[in-house]
Amino acid sequence: MSRPSKPHPLVEVDEPNLLEDTFDYSLPPLIRFDGPIVEYIDGQPVQFDPKELASRDIHITDTTFRDGQQACPPYSVDQMVHIYDLMARLGGPNGVVRQTEFFLYTKNDREALDRCRALGHDYPQCTGWIRADKGDFRLVKAAGLNETGMLTSCSDYHIFYKLKSDRKRILERYCQVVDAAFEAGVRPRCHLEDVTRADIDGFVLPFVDRLMEMSEQVPEHLTVKIRLCDTMGFGISYPGVELPRSIPKLIYKLRHECGVPADRLEWHGHNDFHKVHVNGATAWLYGCDAVNTTLFGFGERTGNPPMEAAVFEYIALKGDLCGIDTTAITELADYMRSIGLPIPANYPFVGRHFNTTRAGIHAGGLRQDERIYNIFDTTALLGRPPRVAITDKSGADGVALWVNEFFGLKGDERVNKIKVHALARWVLDQYEVNGRLTAISDEELEAKARELLPELWQKYKGSTQA
Amino acid sequence: MATVEERVKAVTARVLGVDLAGIKLQDEFRADLGAESIQSVELVANFEEEFGIEMDEDEALSVETVGGAVEYIVKLCREQGIEVET
Repeated sequence: MSRPSKPHPLVEVDEPNLLEDTFDYSLPPLIRFDGPIVEYIDGQPVQFDPKELASRDIHITDTTFRDGQQACPPYSVDQMVHIYDLMARLGGPNGVVRQTEFFLYTKNDREALDRCRALGHDYPQCTGWIRADKGDFRLVKAAGLNETGMLTSCSDYHIFYKLKSDRKRILERYCQVVDAAFEAGVRPRCHLEDVTRADIDGFVLPFVDRLMEMSEQVPEHLTVKIRLCDTMGFGISYPGVELPRSIPKLIYKLRHECGVPADRLEWHGHNDFHKVHVNGATAWLYGCDAVNTTLFGFGERTGNPPMEAAVFEYIALKGDLCGIDTTAITELADYMRSIGLPIPANYPFVGRHFNTTRAGIHAGGLRQDERIYNIFDTTALLGRPPRVAITDKSGADGVALWVNEFFGLKGDERVNKIKVHALARWVLDQYEVNGRLTAISDEELEAKARELLPELWQKYKGSTQA
Repeated sequence: MATVEERVKAVTARVLGVDLAGIKLQDEFRADLGAESIQSVELVANFEEEFGIEMDEDEALSVETVGGAVEYIVKLCREQGIEVET
């Protein structure tokens, strides 16, 4: 093997370089770009400038009450109103969470819509969702909505096998429904179902061309929006992939060959291949302004892009909170759990243990400076300080961290592991002597702390009597 | 009164469960006397209690040998105004 051509001398420093331009602890780590992205489209190199993201009006839309509700027992009207209210707080006054969509088919659907709108929030704007059926527009009109999504499946799997039709007849049928929307004064948002498994040149582009032509005949506020639905999670984010799975190529073709503006394009994904969040972020990157999400990714089968992940991605791309109240994420998660929707303990940002460390060596780092093992200031942004779960792997470091958290000790008050050795010994004996196999609960530790650390207890908690 | 060395060896024997007579000044707590991680912490806590001194956690846990512990404790006792037999 030849010697590498570029030498890399060690750079010794007096102060640590914490790369704080990127890892500003008060925000999620920023996503900074240092050059264009190149994708070959039809054999030609095409440059995308990711720095445009900072100035583009990218935003998040929501389908918690539509796709999200298809994955779980229906929400009650009261629950939907509470969730909507918190979602408005999360997205903030700038409408980072711009829209949310409602079914319109049942009395409860319509009551929920009315009560959410009655809260008077500017955002998320309420839109509808209907099948591609002209008759359904009476529901949209009756609800007084300005915009509705409509199902326009576009793969041959759907056209031939589900709808038992052919491309020409289906295209005409969809266009008739779009006309009906125009006539009703409602903006249609065509949901290109199964687009990542569709014939892009043979159906999708001709259909979108037609929609753009039709849009030229109506005022701007009625022009057709396009939602790209990666129904089965087949979309791929990285360059060099063929259509129809390539998200970059799909968005490029719609933008530059069909003339769909970025603000009328939306990405809707599914998580069948664990790609759902990054695929949504990729859609933003390559020129689609809206990413459709659900709270905590609840959605059909494996779910949709999680809204909370999109929120942190948004902040990381913009470099600013932009009016977002991230603490609402924790409240939303608590609320979801309270109404019987479980969230896995290791689920990012909101799982019970998302910032809980079990390894003693990590707890040691965390005790010295929480930035070492905490992703950002989770106390400020989520109301969730980093925690340790006590097991046989926690060591005295983990126990000391638990004790400091439990007593709420700051600065010079914080105790070192020498002061908690008795509790650390009790923990270790639980496993080594008693053969325990489960983590030790906070309640057990609290009882033992009272018994084994009486001086600390008396100082910070008062009497040691139970 | 027992010397610092005698008291350090006595604490070491009790905490680590080793024979007092076999402890030598050059013995390393971990390699020779088998101190595990939690026992190192317990040793420091017991030295603090035995001599009535406060130890810096990092400094104390970096001491490797029995002789090193004797020197370190003598120094701390002097700094913290604790009279001991050397």
